[in-house]
Amino acid sequence: MAGIDPKFGEALKNYGAINFNACYNCGTCTAVCSLSTPENSFPREMIRLSVLGMEEELTSSLKPWLCYYCGECTTYCPQTANPGELMMSLRRWLTSKYDWTGLSGLLYKSLPLTIVAFLLVAIGVISFAASQAFNSETIMHYGHYFEMIAIGAVFAFILFPNIIRMWYFVMVRSGKKLSLTTYVKTSGELFIHMFTQKRSLGCDDNQFRWFEHFILVIGYLMLLFTTVFLDWFGSQNLFVILLGYVESALIFIITVDFVKSRIQKNREVSKNSQPSDWFFVIWLLLMGLTALLVRSFIGLGIIENNLWMYLIHLTVLAQWALIIVPFGKWTHFLYRSFAMYFEALLAKAN
Amino acid sequence: MKKKIGVYICHCGGNISDYVDVEKVKKSIEDEGGVYLAKTTMFACSDSNQKDMVDDIKGNELNGIVVASCSPKLHLTTFRNVSERADLNKYNYVHANIREQDSWAHSDDKNGATEKAILLVKAAIAKARLAEPLIPNKIQAQKAVAVIGGGIAGMKAAIALSDKDCPVYLIEKAPFVGGRVAQWGNMFTSNQTGEELITKLYHELIKRKNITLFTGAEVTHNAGSIGDFRLKVSVQPRYFTGTCEEKQLQQAIDACPVEVLDEFNFNLTKRKAIYRNAASEYPQTATIDMENCTRCGKCEAICDKIDLSQKEEILDLHVGSVLMATGFDPYTPAEGEYGYNEVDNVLTLPQFVRMLELSDKKLIRNGKEIKNIAYIYCVGSRQEEDGNTYCSRYCCTSAIHTSVEVKKKFPGVYNYHFNRGIRTYGKQELLYAESLQLGDIYLQGDEESLPEVSGESGKTMVKVKDILSAGRLIEVEADLVVLVTGMVPRADNSVGSMFKLPKGRDKFFNEIHMKLRPVETFIDGVTIAGACQGPKNIMESVNSALAAATKSYSYVSKGELETEPIVAEVDAELCSWCDACTAACPFDAISMTNESSKAIALINNSVCKGCGMCLPVCPTDALNLIAYSNNEIESMIDALAAG
Repeated sequence: MAGIDPKFGEALKNYGAINFNACYNCGTCTAVCSLSTPENSFPREMIRLSVLGMEEELTSSLKPWLCYYCGECTTYCPQTANPGELMMSLRRWLTSKYDWTGLSGLLYKSLPLTIVAFLLVAIGVISFAASQAFNSETIMHYGHYFEMIAIGAVFAFILFPNIIRMWYFVMVRSGKKLSLTTYVKTSGELFIHMFTQKRSLGCDDNQFRWFEHFILVIGYLMLLFTTVFLDWFGSQNLFVILLGYVESALIFIITVDFVKSRIQKNREVSKNSQPSDWFFVIWLLLMGLTALLVRSFIGLGIIENNLWMYLIHLTVLAQWALIIVPFGKWTHFLYRSFAMYFEALLAKAN
Repeated sequence: MKKKIGVYICHCGGNISDYVDVEKVKKSIEDEGGVYLAKTTMFACSDSNQKDMVDDIKGNELNGIVVASCSPKLHLTTFRNVSERADLNKYNYVHANIREQDSWAHSDDKNGATEKAILLVKAAIAKARLAEPLIPNKIQAQKAVAVIGGGIAGMKAAIALSDKDCPVYLIEKAPFVGGRVAQWGNMFTSNQTGEELITKLYHELIKRKNITLFTGAEVTHNAGSIGDFRLKVSVQPRYFTGTCEEKQLQQAIDACPVEVLDEFNFNLTKRKAIYRNAASEYPQTATIDMENCTRCGKCEAICDKIDLSQKEEILDLHVGSVLMATGFDPYTPAEGEYGYNEVDNVLTLPQFVRMLELSDKKLIRNGKEIKNIAYIYCVGSRQEEDGNTYCSRYCCTSAIHTSVEVKKKFPGVYNYHFNRGIRTYGKQELLYAESLQLGDIYLQGDEESLPEVSGESGKTMVKVKDILSAGRLIEVEADLVVLVTGMVPRADNSVGSMFKLPKGRDKFFNEIHMKLRPVETFIDGVTIAGACQGPKNIMESVNSALAAATKSYSYVSKGELETEPIVAEVDAELCSWCDACTAACPFDAISMTNESSKAIALINNSVCKGCGMCLPVCPTDALNLIAYSNNEIESMIDALAAG
């Protein structure tokens, strides 16, 4: 017997859900959705569970991750109940449910708190620079280390436990038993979706959106690799230097386009931007831009006299690595891929 | 006189001619006896064809016409008017239905349909050959209308009739006007309360000198027929000779030792034998309920305007038409239906509406503040085959409106609607939208999975398989369960039986045709309005009241009425008054009369509908139906059988 909670809907509004109460269950959204299937039907069912406040079922559901927000449902909804944004809000809410620290939820719900967190990190970076008497060499040396340590720590203490929690909610609660071999055999799904986001090709809208996103993901991952492991900022190898320039330029160009589209609100997906969306795309843009500038300054040999440029880059990087990656929108990179992986596993269990 | 008959065969666009070869029909009947001209036409009812017909009749001095087209239900009047415009007696026009009874019915057999059309037209020609000119009966119509029922429909109808300068007798059984509407609180969409609405209408009523209002009055006897109804009305006394002073009246009420359940509040509270429902209720004089009064005289001692010796009065009214607006009763759930009368926290929507009206700061039931309310829809409506199968129309809207009102008045309350599909049609959809925005939860069952109410260990639980979430069994703990009850006919509908009003399958009074004649009944001169005809909301009731008022007015406005001359007639020589025909007559149109010291049957022309039920039971063949004489019918049968 399922319990229901009329207060849940109010809580979900803090995660960006708009007007989903207006839903009268006609199912138009599900009918027009090109990703919805009879076995995995959404978004109407998700709206229904949200209206009824069936939290446990929602926590175990992968359906919010199966949606790639083409926005057709929102366009055609006769009640303007905005199913697309409801799915988006459920993804934010799920992210906060998976997060064992509870910080995701706090940051999603409160803009002031998010700003305070960003300021604290900025102050931390500046204080650190001050403690090193603004010596560019040591600061850049530690900056490089920080990148590696931050990635490792965030994965080990935040993201890994959160994925385990997601696995528990989805796989363990489903009651389905799967052998380790199945997990291993199916793991291809995880990586395919992680690096290609191929499911979003199933959306009916402009596939340029997928292409941009694909290039952004590849560019981001490669820039990460180029700076951390190929030491872009220190390298004398022309190929490495050029590679870094290309990657950071791509990130900058694509994120500018994303920001533009969020300002112009020209697609359903960009009409209702939450602070978490803005921070994600703007910080990605800033990362590309500042990395590009820092490397140019290095190339021109003026970085020692213009350490402020590197400090800005380091601040953006630290905010990205300590706030957005573990507790912000960055996590959708992981959860979406794991959702597709778990989905494939559940399909095998049936 | 030899007949010169014109025959018109209609294509009806293609409705007829796609299946019936109309040219062949024309050829086959051209040489029938009496046929002077035969034509086919694309649309017989079109203005141009009507004009041609008039020219044909006048130009060729036709003295009979046959139109073969759709059902006479649609265009009988059209072609009767054509005849009259051409100075031809309209009873010389005969109709053949070759659409509903032929082309539509036999679309699979074109030859057969054509053959049938030929026979139908031949039969009509046979009848036209024998048709005689007839003159409609004229009867006197008393220019006054009795409106029975002083609820919203009756009050509006009375005002509408009065504005047309027609005297009205408004007869209300209860001691106060307003009926059910007076019991409701705030109403959608005007945001007026029922009390305000009724007060406004009452002032309109008493402003008009040609309206006579009787409260505590009942029609006890009816004689006569359209244009000439003779009613006896019994008027119960109020036991007041004037208005007591407010303070005295309250003392008198306080002094009354009798306490009974208060029907105005649907038995939620108690009242005294001397009572009024609301301070502003109309008429503003209180009343005494003599069924429960013990005549102890305590009130009489307090206010000298109280007079327990008043007696019932019987009045005679003479009216030309009767407008029935007797309203409905809310459905009373059976014992144990969704926990009614078994689980403590279960009540009906009308009760809840009263409870809401009577609650001020907190909503309390059995000493506990109410937080969660479950509404169960379609109670007493949309039941299984042998129950009330109809939808009561108003209840979805009423329940949602009430839930919105609750939420506005008591913001902490949560509403759970256990519905079977929401039917808030038209503007009422706005309420549904508002309720959704307020966060009300809608759980939908169907006839296979109705909600269940259980009350164990002090908890009232309602559960249902919600078909909108894939049949998940959902359970809600409710502090109050509101049964959204539908409308049923009045428990005492004897006034309808007195007028022999037919009832539909739903037991409400029945109109002649839901769309074409929505306020008329098979009893000429009696119209119906409001919820006595079937479930209606206030707006729909008022609309039908205005329609019925206009119809009733049309009967009496000229002081004279024309009725069909197609009635039964008695051959005084053959009739031996065996009384067999009176039993066969469904309209009480036959009585006995003495003609030259012989008892024979007498037909009341204004009541007889020309149905012909009396003819076959007459052993001496003394009865004849005008325009359907044995001669005419036999000639038609001959024409049909000859094929």
